[in-house]
Amino acid sequence: MDDSTRRLLQRLIRRIPAPMLKPTLEKWGRLTVAQRQSMDYTQRKWPLTEKLLSICEENEWTTKHITELEMICVIDNPNQGMWRAFQLMDPEDDAHSLELTQFKEQFKSHLSELVRHVSVKIKKHTDEAVWIRIAWGDGFSRPNHLKPTYVVHHLQTSFVFVTSLTSKQKPLLSQALVLSTRHHAIKDANLSGRNLTAIRDLLMRQYEQVFPTKYSSPLEEKNQTPSNPHIEREQAGPFANRLQMACEAFGGGTLPQLQSAVYKLETKFRDQTNRNMTEREEPFRCVVKFESTNLLESLRHSASSGIASTPVTPLLSSIPLKGRNYFVITDNGPGPASQMHPSQK
Amino acid sequence: MSLLKPFSKLPGLNTANILLVEGEEQFQQSLADALVEETAFTVNVRLAKSLPLPLENEESRPRIDLVVFIINLTSELSFQSAEASLKYLDPGYFLGKVCFMVTNARNASVPTEQLDAVRKLAASLHCPLLFAEDQTPDGVTNAAERLMTILKVAAGLVPMATSLYLSSLTRCTVPLDIDQPSFE
Repeated sequence: MDDSTRRLLQRLIRRIPAPMLKPTLEKWGRLTVAQRQSMDYTQRKWPLTEKLLSICEENEWTTKHITELEMICVIDNPNQGMWRAFQLMDPEDDAHSLELTQFKEQFKSHLSELVRHVSVKIKKHTDEAVWIRIAWGDGFSRPNHLKPTYVVHHLQTSFVFVTSLTSKQKPLLSQALVLSTRHHAIKDANLSGRNLTAIRDLLMRQYEQVFPTKYSSPLEEKNQTPSNPHIEREQAGPFANRLQMACEAFGGGTLPQLQSAVYKLETKFRDQTNRNMTEREEPFRCVVKFESTNLLESLRHSASSGIASTPVTPLLSSIPLKGRNYFVITDNGPGPASQMHPSQK
Repeated sequence: MSLLKPFSKLPGLNTANILLVEGEEQFQQSLADALVEETAFTVNVRLAKSLPLPLENEESRPRIDLVVFIINLTSELSFQSAEASLKYLDPGYFLGKVCFMVTNARNASVPTEQLDAVRKLAASLHCPLLFAEDQTPDGVTNAAERLMTILKVAAGLVPMATSLYLSSLTRCTVPLDIDQPSFE
């Protein structure tokens, strides 16, 4: 058995959390009944790894088999590493009737044309997502399985989610994706996060949306009205208003977990009390970064508790509205799609 | 200016009414739940973010016996909102019917000036200053118990004790060397 295969297996076992080891191996299904029974899952990981390596020798597994296991483990646990979203533009007429087998063949053939040694594995998950694992090699070396790129695409939508992609590999992947999905271009959707389910839910709006209503009585029942008749809120009206506007801007219920939002400001400095800075011609460049374990939840809470003024400023509400968390803000009038107007204060 | 007046309405029988004013609207909720559990008499809790209180509730609002300002020391906004609300209280309240409650005083990131400022404010108004721990249920229960002691007197439910008398014993005082730099 190859040294690199051994290393791959060792690294993989280290990454899988201990309670998940048994169900993942059973799902994989490549151990015989006898081997399965001989695995003692109460031991620590080190002896288990040794056991698996010896079984690997016995069964003569190759890298191909180990990568299958890796894919299963990543699909079950997608919320590690940094995922970036991309959007496919300008579909051709037959983009909407694209079938899985066609996509698979096309993608594999295009990518192998572009990169001499590349190992591609495509798998369709139960929830309509197509998972692609790519191990890149170049003209001289075999594919590097220790740093694979994972791509998730829902067929017939225009969104692609990618993790662990270097800048050299990006144009190759983009080319292959564009050709195999029958679109004309691919662009960065300016959305990134640790949690794949969260960024997917945000882009496809799969969380509870709250719509503006004239009579907000349904929400009044749901908000934190104390149920005890002896407790009464004095300013209940404004409270309900703020809650309604915050939920309209960000959504109700549990929100997708975003970790950060970055605003790159290229606007002129504006402060009446500081003549020196305001007189400069060049824009004042600065970057504002919001970070949190659940950013949208904190923004919604700050709007409903009155810390952020309501109605919610478009700078904040465009995070869920446009599904991005990287913005470049300039002073100009209507600019290209990646720019936004700062709100007038 | 719509001042909140202490004696313009009739008191209820065997009831005590308390108003919790908190800019952040967090701690007041759990504190209210702990306060209404009192069984010896009825406790009515009103929650507000700041004063002045809306005029629509003027009719239905009972006579408020005790006004508690909850200040979170980690937030500058909380202190400013409490200070701004003080203007809307009739001076009659400051004879023992106002109390300050401070949370997060043990937090290391709180500058000492913040606590000193609250102390000076409470001392200048002759009001008691209580410290509360709002993160644990035990802390909430303790804070509610201490408030209950003051509330009972303010509502007139303790014979031979008035809130003015109690406040002369419990009011916050500022040590004479508060403006000296501390050597911690």
